[in-house]
Amino acid sequence: MRFDHTTLPNGLTVLAESNPAAATAALGFFVKTGSRDESPEASGVSHFLEHMMFKGTGRRTTAQVNRQFDEIGADYNAATTEETTVYYASVLSEHLPKLIDLMADIMQPALREEDFSTEKSVILEEIALYEDQPRFRVYDTLMSLYFGSHPLGNVILGTPRTIAAMTTGQMMEYFRRRYSPSNIVLAAAGKVDFAWLSESAHRLCGHWSGQQTAPRVAQVPAGASGRQILHDARLAREHVGFMSPAPSAQDDDRFAAQVLSAIVGDDTGSMLYYDLVETAMVDEISLGHAAMDGAGVFMTFLSADPRKAKAAVEATGNTIRRFMHDGPTDSQLTAARNKIATGITLKGELPMGRLADIAGDWVYRNDYMPLEDQIARLLAVDCDDVRQVAARYDPASAAMLALGPLENL
Amino acid sequence: MSQNLFIREMPNGMTLLGQPMEGVSSAAMTLLVPLGSAHDPAGLEGGASILCEWMFRGAGDMDSRRLNDALDELGAEHSECVLSEHLQFSSAQLGVNLHQVLRIYADIIRRPTLDDAAFEPCRELTLADLESLEDEPARKCSLLLAENFYPWPLGRSIYGSRESLCSASASTLRSHALGGMSPRGAIIAVAGNIDWPAFCAQTQDLFEDWRTPPQDPINVQPARRGCAFLKKDSSQVYISLAHKSVTVGHKLYYAARLAESVLSGGMSSRLMDELRDKRGLVYSVNSRYHSLKEHAGIFTTAGTTPQRAQQTLDVMIDVMARLGEGVTDEELARSKAQLKSFLIMQGESTSSRSAALAGDWYFLRRLRTLDELSSAVDSVTTDELVEYATQFPARDFTVVLVGPDELKLPRGARHAL
Repeated sequence: MRFDHTTLPNGLTVLAESNPAAATAALGFFVKTGSRDESPEASGVSHFLEHMMFKGTGRRTTAQVNRQFDEIGADYNAATTEETTVYYASVLSEHLPKLIDLMADIMQPALREEDFSTEKSVILEEIALYEDQPRFRVYDTLMSLYFGSHPLGNVILGTPRTIAAMTTGQMMEYFRRRYSPSNIVLAAAGKVDFAWLSESAHRLCGHWSGQQTAPRVAQVPAGASGRQILHDARLAREHVGFMSPAPSAQDDDRFAAQVLSAIVGDDTGSMLYYDLVETAMVDEISLGHAAMDGAGVFMTFLSADPRKAKAAVEATGNTIRRFMHDGPTDSQLTAARNKIATGITLKGELPMGRLADIAGDWVYRNDYMPLEDQIARLLAVDCDDVRQVAARYDPASAAMLALGPLENL
Repeated sequence: MSQNLFIREMPNGMTLLGQPMEGVSSAAMTLLVPLGSAHDPAGLEGGASILCEWMFRGAGDMDSRRLNDALDELGAEHSECVLSEHLQFSSAQLGVNLHQVLRIYADIIRRPTLDDAAFEPCRELTLADLESLEDEPARKCSLLLAENFYPWPLGRSIYGSRESLCSASASTLRSHALGGMSPRGAIIAVAGNIDWPAFCAQTQDLFEDWRTPPQDPINVQPARRGCAFLKKDSSQVYISLAHKSVTVGHKLYYAARLAESVLSGGMSSRLMDELRDKRGLVYSVNSRYHSLKEHAGIFTTAGTTPQRAQQTLDVMIDVMARLGEGVTDEELARSKAQLKSFLIMQGESTSSRSAALAGDWYFLRRLRTLDELSSAVDSVTTDELVEYATQFPARDFTVVLVGPDELKLPRGARHAL
């Protein structure tokens, strides 16, 4: 494995972790922008723009973009979160030259009016699709409840109203403001030659310009701790989410937070699993750690028979409090560390998995961490580290959102 | 990419499969036990799902906690699922831990505790899975489609019914499980950082005296087919259609997979182009090949809001029907590139490889190398693709609709009831 990086004169960062033994390569543009960077009236523009990036350029129509990805057998997609928008693909390494030509081109979209209006319908369908998934509704509403007026509470997809009212002008303005080269990282992993990548980036992206993207205001969210019950008689189960503060993506405590999550709330063999799933009090439950830019949360989701929901909510709190009082045992710590290490190893064996990690490290921390170091950092987490994170962040005091047939909980 | 594939058939009917892979430290295991949901006896429908949960509540001399802790301490990333013809156990871990994980699985399969006390929560969890489907209309739609399309009971929902789950007892399920789990037809496939001779020696030690006789074959009845509508106050209408295809061993199998790709392989595929890009009718639409041992189908699904649902259904059926009119050389070339690239990328993942080995053995009783797959895909011509689409035309659909309003099926699309 070899890591290299450079910055083009226009500010675009180019980096790669090369593995000559791999058969495939993964490539992606990672833009540091998402729903937290939107104004209220343009809610959903990051995600809508992500769709529009595949709708043609000055050199290619939508159909040509689609065909050219498929001709090289690319496994490709894009994703928008609260704070990043990423475009990624993996291919057999012989197709990298065609892939980078195509991907660099779509990063300068045409944003044609006709495509915009067709795609608007697709976005509205996507919103309707997620409305039928209670877990997503709980996530969205809980984020808004927890973050309140902080922009991390902005919904990613927008609302039917903001999407219907959106104009290409708003989208272009957002693109100019957020997609400046200095706000983008081009990353590659697997069978890729850095000299070639860097030369290609100069040739294909060197002319990109754009106003300097203003850095995010480093506003630390207060984080609410309220309770909200959303009554929906159409649902059969009660879907409940909890959210509480946790280490951010820049905080070294994130490793201990990850271990804590596995001990308390992994979907197999964790404390919540034994207390609530093994006893069939809930259908499913998991606690996870989401590390974001300057903020972090522990999130717990459960679904249960409405008749058991009240007991399940109490039991969840009891389990977390018991953990905070007793701390982890040595065997819990070993199991959690080993499970996480297996997960990282499996992910790291695929170029796409490494791409996500190295780009994430750079976007959030301007740093590169080899796979072995990542595993070593996790294996070094001890009982005291986990105990300290639990004490500092108090996951037992959480905001709660319940969605389902119950009117009270 | 060179591949060494190993096969060892044991006298008791179990088959061991292996593929050592360079440059990886993980080893993945896929274990198929021939006792799936289709084997659930009448009155015990959903039994395999309860069993799958119950088997992890203690085995050998370990209670539930010790068993699950032991897997966790070995860093085993494991999952279990109920298939029509099998229970499938998958576990990925560092190669150095494979032999210890295998020992635990031998206990789970051969010496599950299956005690009365653990039965009730396992039944309740299966009931919860069944009831959760009410909040997942898309998944419910797909489950109903498989149930109606395949000959009964091969596609039957793995969750059974409320009645069957409530009437199941620990003793009936225990005797069904212990009498039904046989080594005949069982498969263990491993891929990645493995030591094949050591794996074979250990597996033989653990399983060679397993002698449970095979169970009776499943009594297969004709499929229900037809068109079912389930009224649901959902935001979208979920449309799912199935029609007949060829099984994995058929000479037109690769043509079928390429046809699937022409319809739904990528963003340039016909369904994506016509429904999403040109008309903005859907966010998601896809057509997927699925096969059992003796039966196979193309399952096509889409979700859309009620006012666009009829047009969506009409366009879906029209696009699929046109496949028999021919495909262009460019479409075929794109589909080949996609399929081959997918196969090579799957080849880098130890979990995908162990699952593929097990699947090959079950469907074909042999293992296919990457080279064989690649040249089989390359050799398909546009004429063969049309031959496939003509012999297995997209009509006589089995249909399931879930949503606020029923839709009209075009003439000829509906399967005779």
